[in-house]
Amino acid sequence: MFGIRSDLPLKRDTASRFVLWLVMVLVFMASLAVTVNSYIGVLLNDWNRSVTGTLTVQIPLVDGDEKATAAVVAKVIDVLKRHPAVAKAEAVPRAKVTELLKPWLGDNDVIADLPLPALIDVELQADGADAVAAVTASIKTAAPQAVIDDHRIWLSRVMGLAKGFGIVALTIMVLVTSALGLTIVFATRASLAEFAQVIDVLHVVGAKDSYIARQFARRALAQGMLGGLAGLALYAPALALVAWLASRVDPEILPKATLPPTHWLILAGLPLAAGFLAMLTAHVTVRRALSAKV
Amino acid sequence: MALLRKKDDGFVGDTVALEGVGLRYDDGPEILADVSLAIPQRSFHFLTGPSGAGKTSLLSLMYLAKRPTRGGLKIFGEDVTHAPRSRLAAIRRRLGVVFQDFRLLDHMSAFDNVALPLRIAGIAETVVQRNVSELLNWVGLEQFKDAHPIVLSGGQKQRVAIARAVVSRPKLILADEPTGNVDDTIAMRLMQLFVELHKLGASVIIATHNEPLVARFPFPRLHLDDGAVSILPPLAATPASQIAFGL
Repeated sequence: MFGIRSDLPLKRDTASRFVLWLVMVLVFMASLAVTVNSYIGVLLNDWNRSVTGTLTVQIPLVDGDEKATAAVVAKVIDVLKRHPAVAKAEAVPRAKVTELLKPWLGDNDVIADLPLPALIDVELQADGADAVAAVTASIKTAAPQAVIDDHRIWLSRVMGLAKGFGIVALTIMVLVTSALGLTIVFATRASLAEFAQVIDVLHVVGAKDSYIARQFARRALAQGMLGGLAGLALYAPALALVAWLASRVDPEILPKATLPPTHWLILAGLPLAAGFLAMLTAHVTVRRALSAKV
Repeated sequence: MALLRKKDDGFVGDTVALEGVGLRYDDGPEILADVSLAIPQRSFHFLTGPSGAGKTSLLSLMYLAKRPTRGGLKIFGEDVTHAPRSRLAAIRRRLGVVFQDFRLLDHMSAFDNVALPLRIAGIAETVVQRNVSELLNWVGLEQFKDAHPIVLSGGQKQRVAIARAVVSRPKLILADEPTGNVDDTIAMRLMQLFVELHKLGASVIIATHNEPLVARFPFPRLHLDDGAVSILPPLAATPASQIAFGL
């Protein structure tokens, strides 16, 4: 393996194909976990960036009268524009509001007839609880019926969801790592038993434990990396399929996200990590087993 | 043969020294009890005794596959009774072992089997090629160097095993029934190899059941019986130099 001479007929080992297959499955799962976590991270960052420092003011329809409502909106915008903490304040056109509702209610006349509230988008000079409180107070004075949404509750819940995904991804990684470690431990022990006589001969002719351990470690490194590459080979079409399916969904519901370079680096590192973990585990397992001899 | 000639044995005193050695497996009875024994440098001994007397156990103590459960054991002047495991490989590299069942590695050619101790010791490949070829030549198997053990006869396998045992110029050669699986003619040829190695300066111990074979050589016998050892005089009076090997 890797052109290095091996004294143990490890290629004939019955356990090795199973190990290769298992590493493939584990790396496939790990890469999916990494991707889901990355995607959600990117998505939430985008949302976070687009909603911090903004407020949405809702002015409910005044007595079903659009003109009366527009007057209130104008009054509120006037107050906001003179407020020192506000960078920008403008009414959201009714067309935009119906546009926003379209993915949820469909493109039909029902929306046109709905008694929709008027919306005002507000951008603050700086994000901060003090500025939000001051602006909120001014709006309430001008129009007590206004409903002000600073998106914080929504955002904190979404962030909680993101953290949840992060913990799930981390849990998957921990499980995958321990499954890989245990697999290597048991496969190595099986190999040690299978090749007990060969190992005895190696000892008789002067092999140190470390020499024998290196042979197992090298094999485990190769298995980990090969299995890891196979896992990525399985992952690539899976990701392409999901990306294609996602591209057919309306971007208002499922925003497009570009995965960051670190995501791809982590993925590329998975076969290496699997290889090194397998190598270390095999080495320690052999050393521990042999140290119990004579 | 130049390759096998000893320059410096690198230790003083006996090659092997046992002092009140006892050996038992788990909680079983003692296989060896109070064995005290000295194997001088450049000596040749047969190890005889009935089956189950502990011949194999005694040899496995000497090649460090087992350690005494009591008493002291020195190999090449080094106390191995309590030596750390990490020391043992270095000592094993200075001795050669031949087994009745050869214990060749079946997935390797004869050449690679013989080369194994050198490669494990990290000897340069050019030296390995030269020394192994020379040794295969010495045991008369140069044309079988690429053959795997499965296609070799018992006698051929044992010659490969002997070549493997001596390739790193051991100062102590231990053989456990080396002629047990071959006919008498082959046995005499194998014995010739051991006698040559002895003449070149190694201490040789051969455990055997083969009384007629023992009777042809003027070497003392370590006789094991009931876990105790006694040294008996040679059965043959002919000097080793005059033995006819019938070749």
